[in-house]
Amino acid sequence: MSAATTTSRATQAVTAARPGPTFGRLLAAEWTKLTSLRSPWWIAGVTLVVAFAITYLSAEASSVNPTFYPLESLPTGLLLAQVGPLVLGALVGAGEFRTGAFRTTFTLVPRRWPVVAAQALVLVGFTLVLGVLTTAACAVGVLPSAASRDVPVDLTEGDTPGIMLGMVLFVVGLTLFGYALGALMRRTVPAVVTALTIVLILPVVLLVGGDLVSGPPGMAPAGEMPAEAELTVVDTLVTVSPGGAAQLLTVPASEGPIEGSPDLGPVGGGLVLAGWTGLVLGVAVTRLRTRDVR
Amino acid sequence: MIEVEALTKRYGSTTAVDGLTFTARPGTVTGFLGPNGAGKSTTMRVVVGLERPTSGATRVAGRSYADLPAPLHAVGVMLDARSVHPGRTAYKHLLSMAQTHGIGKARVREVIAQTGLEPAAHRRAGTFSLGMGQRLGIAGALLGDPATLVLDEPVNGLDPDGVLWIRRLVRELAAEGRTVLLSSHLMHELALCADRVVIIGRGRLLVDASVQEVVARSERAGAVRVRTTDPEPLARELLAIGAQVSPQDAGVLQVRGATVDDVGTAARRAGVTVLELASESGSLEDAYLQLTGDAVEYRAADAAGGAR
Repeated sequence: MSAATTTSRATQAVTAARPGPTFGRLLAAEWTKLTSLRSPWWIAGVTLVVAFAITYLSAEASSVNPTFYPLESLPTGLLLAQVGPLVLGALVGAGEFRTGAFRTTFTLVPRRWPVVAAQALVLVGFTLVLGVLTTAACAVGVLPSAASRDVPVDLTEGDTPGIMLGMVLFVVGLTLFGYALGALMRRTVPAVVTALTIVLILPVVLLVGGDLVSGPPGMAPAGEMPAEAELTVVDTLVTVSPGGAAQLLTVPASEGPIEGSPDLGPVGGGLVLAGWTGLVLGVAVTRLRTRDVR
Repeated sequence: MIEVEALTKRYGSTTAVDGLTFTARPGTVTGFLGPNGAGKSTTMRVVVGLERPTSGATRVAGRSYADLPAPLHAVGVMLDARSVHPGRTAYKHLLSMAQTHGIGKARVREVIAQTGLEPAAHRRAGTFSLGMGQRLGIAGALLGDPATLVLDEPVNGLDPDGVLWIRRLVRELAAEGRTVLLSSHLMHELALCADRVVIIGRGRLLVDASVQEVVARSERAGAVRVRTTDPEPLARELLAIGAQVSPQDAGVLQVRGATVDDVGTAARRAGVTVLELASESGSLEDAYLQLTGDAVEYRAADAAGGAR
C-alpha cells in the first residue's frame, strides 16, 4: 500500500465521524463467528444422527408391543440428542474466554453486554433450524417401524404438532441454558460437565435419592390410585430442575403431570427452563459488566 | 492521543501499576518499556477498557475508552497474539471484527494484503506461527484505519524481515499523524523506531523522555576508553589534569572529564604506548539497564529458585 492512500485515509479518520457497533452489526459479526468454526457443524451433524438413530431403535423396540403407537417414540431420540445442544451452547458461551478471543471482542464493544445478547440471538437462529431438522430426523426415525407394522403415521393429528413444536423449543432452550453456563463459567470443560450434570444426571440422582429415603413407589400399599396425587418434594424438585422442566416441553399437555409433581404442562416447563437460563445469564452479564475481563 | 493520568491498578495486595502518568502524542511513536512484569500490559489493558483502574484515569482521543462511539475506528489494538479463536481462519476473524463496525470485505482484503497474510488468509489461526499471529493482530489493529494504535510487543516472534517491516510501518503510521504506543521489553527494538520512550519498573514511571535524552543519560555517554601497555602512569597523568579515571580489566581505562585529544596528549606525556583510544557513545540499552536494574521484578537467580 502506498503512503499516499493511507495518508488520505488518516485525514478522513480525523474528519469524518464513522459509525460504530449497532445491534444489527453485532448479529452479523456473531453469525460469522459461529458459522466460521467447525464445532457447531460437527455438533449439529452428530445431534441429527443420534436423534434419528435413537428414535429408530426405540420405535423398533416398542413395535413388538401389540398397542404400538409409532408417534409415542417421536421424542425418545432427544434423550441422548440433547447432549448436542447443551455442548454447543457451553462451547459458544465459554469459547471466547478459553481462547483469549474475548480481548478482541470486548475492545470492539466496550459495553460488552450487547455481545452476549447478539451471541444468544444468533444461537437461537442456528438452533431453531437445528431443532426443526432434529425433529424431522426423529420423525423419519419412526417411519421404518411404523411401515413394518402397517401403522399409518400422521404428523398433523392430535397432540403431535404441539409435541414437535416443543421438541424444536427443547433444542433451542437447552442450547441457551448451556450458553448461559458457558458464559458464566468461562471454561469449556467445566461448563460442559456442569451442563450435562444438571440436565442429565441431577434428575436421576434426585429420583434415586428420593426412593432411597421414602422407599420405591412399588412398595406403596396396593389399592386404588388416589384421585389427586400428593406432591412430593423429590418429584417437584425434578420437575422444576432445568432438565426436568425441559423434558416437559416434549410431553403433551393432555398427558397430565407425572405422579407427585406439579402440573406445569409444556408451556410451564418451557417457562421454568427460560427462568433458569435467564437467572444464570443475568449473573454472567452482571459479572461481565462490573468486573475486569482478563 | 493517549493520556494516562495517575493510573493505579491493584490485584488484591499486588500493585501492578502505581501512580503512572504519561501521554502518547499524535505523530509520535511512543515506546513503552519495562522488564517483564513491570505493568506494561496491565496499563494497555486499562487503556483499551478491558480492565478498570483502581484509581486514576486513561483517555483516548480525549475520551474514556468505554465512551468511544466507534472504538475500532478510534484505536487499533493488538494486545496478545492469542486474542484470536484458533479455530477461525484469519479472513473470518478479520471479517467478524469488520462487521461490528460495518466495514466492508474490501477493507478486510486490503489489510490482509498490507500485512502479507494473503497466503495464510484462509488457514485457521491455530495453525499460525507466532510471527503470523503477530501479523494477524496488526491487521486487526489497522482494520478500522484508526488515529491511535496500541501495540503490545508487536515485534515478538517476528523474523528479521518482519522486524524491519514493523519498524517501517510504525514510522509511516506516525508520519501520517497517528499516535502509536508500542511496548517492548527490549530497548534496542525501540531505539530504531521510537521518538519518545516511557520506561516503567514495578509499575512506576522511571523515565519519560526522548530517545536522545535517554541515551545522553547513559553512564558511558561521553566517556573515553583507552587501552595501553602501562595504565598506571597514564592514570596519574590524567588525574593531574582533573579527569576521573576508572580502571577496567586488561589495561583498559575509562576516562571522564577529558576528550580523546586530552587523553592522547596525556599518554604522550606519560610515555606509554596507546593500543586503543576511542570515545564511547551511550546506548539506549545501557541506559535502560541502568534505569531498570533496581526495578527488575524477577532476576535470574530468583527465577531459578522459584522454578519448582
